Formats: sequence, structure tokens, C-alpha cells
Amino acid sequence: MEGKIIVITSGKGGVGKTTTTAALGAAIALEGKRVAVVDMDIGLRNLDVVMGLENRIVFNVVDLAKGRCKVHQASIKDRRIENLFLIPASQSDNKTALSTDDMIRLCKKLRQEFDVVLIDCPAGIEQGFENSVVGADEAVVVCTPEVSAVRDADRIIGLLYARSITPKLIVNRIVPRLVQSGDMLSHKDVVDVLSIELIGLVCMDDFVITSTNTGTPVVLDKDSRAGQAFRRIAMRLLGNTEVPIVDPLEDNKGFWNRIGSKIGLRRI
Amino acid sequence: MLNNLFSRMFKEKEAPPGEVAKKRLQFALIYDKLEVSDEMLENLQNDIVDVLSRYFEIDKASLRLDITRQEDLSALVLNTPIIAAKKRGHEKK
Repeated sequence: MEGKIIVITSGKGGVGKTTTTAALGAAIALEGKRVAVVDMDIGLRNLDVVMGLENRIVFNVVDLAKGRCKVHQASIKDRRIENLFLIPASQSDNKTALSTDDMIRLCKKLRQEFDVVLIDCPAGIEQGFENSVVGADEAVVVCTPEVSAVRDADRIIGLLYARSITPKLIVNRIVPRLVQSGDMLSHKDVVDVLSIELIGLVCMDDFVITSTNTGTPVVLDKDSRAGQAFRRIAMRLLGNTEVPIVDPLEDNKGFWNRIGSKIGLRRI
Repeated sequence: MLNNLFSRMFKEKEAPPGEVAKKRLQFALIYDKLEVSDEMLENLQNDIVDVLSRYFEIDKASLRLDITRQEDLSALVLNTPIIAAKKRGHEKK
């Protein structure tokens, strides 16, 4: 059976695409699938450092797409998680190094070798975006609860629809305290404005910062709320729709609040 | 401090920033979708000139096509001097 290709995109930079790609790649591999994560941010590669694989790069995605190496040569095997592979970006080329035809050929190759391929799309709507989406079957749009991120997400969603892809939404870096006080857009607001299907909610979480610093997968941390949210998103992406989307506000309730809602004194 | 307290007590309640953000976004997205590129406007103008020329002799050089925006609507405004009506203009070619 051929694997499926999912592009992780956002329009705006710095909303957590790379972190999301790394986390979902690890989480899907933990579900027993053979996974490749592909860094398409050519010239500004980062997925390798986030995953802690930066000193093992020999070949990169441009080498692979241009036929200068085989898939297994460009795929760096993760040491901690079975079945997880990274295909790094090239650091010396720029985004025009590859054409959409190159990408279609590459995606065809990757489909035969992996169950799931996650493509980490660069920010922007130029060639890098075109290349990242041209071979994709599905798309996940990452958005933070900020006006700039939501506006760019809306633009990206339009471009994806134009390519007959119906994207799903992850609202990332939710700060429940600020949502509760009315100071931050809630995930409901974001879904309302963008009106696409929600696939997961991820809280702002210190564990994401520390795991990125050390290059370890955040999904392996049982105490990380973001890590656990990514694991649930991975299951939903694999078709397990019964896995619930946990509302960070509900999840954030303290002991008394929880007792309160049990006996009918709902506060939120 | 006391001043601050008073002004807080008597100040009209403003919408919370989250709500403001949502409203602003909704407006911004509507405006974004109404934006028309110059190229599209030029093509539209050429098409309109073609159609009008079938029925009227018009001064093509002084034809003006604009999009005006008001708070709740966008309007396409076309201004053109008509030199003469073509006598057989209503017949289909």
C-alpha cells in the first residue's frame, strides 16, 4: 500500500510548524507507522536541530530530489524512536533549487518507502510553499491565537482549497489563563473565523522549549500537556476519530473547579 | 492608586482584547477578500470597453474604472463619455 503525504503549513512563520512536524512525526511513529519527516525549508534548515539529528546529515532533500542519492541514504534514522526518519533540508541552496516536477517525483518515491510522510513547509506563499503542497494528499494548518497568524492561516487555507486540499486546523500555544480572562482569542474564535475542521488544541508548554533545547521528542514526556496533545492529534490523523479533542480550558481546571463542575456549579 | 481605582470603577466596560481581536480579524478578512489586483482590474476594463463598443462609440481614453469602498459595501464605478450610439448596435453579430 502507498503511504500518505501530509503537509504541515501555516503561512506565518514562528507559529510552531517545525515543532509540530517533529512532534507529530514522533507520535505517528510511536503508533507503529513508518514515518519520514521532510524539511522543506531549504536554506534555513531547522527540523534537524529540533529533532537532535543535526550532526548526522550526509545527504539532503535536494540531493534526493535531484537523484544524487537513494531514499535510504538521505533518511536519517532517529535513535530513540523506531521507524522515524528525517530527510533534512539543504542549507546551501535556496527555495528555487527544486521545481514542482522535482517534488512530484520525490513524493512518488517517498510514498513507496513510508506509511506517512510529513512535510515541514516553509513560511510564506512562494516557491517553497508551492513545492511543499504539490505532492501532498492532506494538509494541517498550524495557527496560534493571534490576529497575524489567523489572517495568514486564512490566506493559506484559500490557497489549499484552490489545490483541492481540505486542510485541518491545529490551534497551537493556547494560554488558558489568558483565554479565561478574555485577553486572548479562544480556539472557538479561531475556528469560527477560519471555519475549517479542528484536529487538535495545543497549550503553551515549557516542555516544548526544553525538549527543543535538548533535541528530544516532546511526545515521550508523559507530563507534557503539549506532548500528549500531539499524541492525540497523531491518532486522529491516522483515522482514529474517537480520540477526543481536549479543551485546554477544561483541562486546566483546578481541583475545586472540577468538583464544582461535577456537582453542577459550572464556572466556565 | 486611589485615582486608578476610581477610574476603574467608573470607566465604561470595554470589550476584552480577545473579543476585539476577533472582530478586527473578521473585518480584515472581509477586506482582504475584496482586494482586486491591478491586472484583474485592467482585464475587466478591457472587457467592458469591448462590450460597450458594440453599442456605443465611446472615448476609450477617458474611461475610468474604480472600486470605491464604504463601510459596509464595495461598489464598482465606471465612468465613460458616450460620443454616439451605434445604430445597429443592438443586433447580434
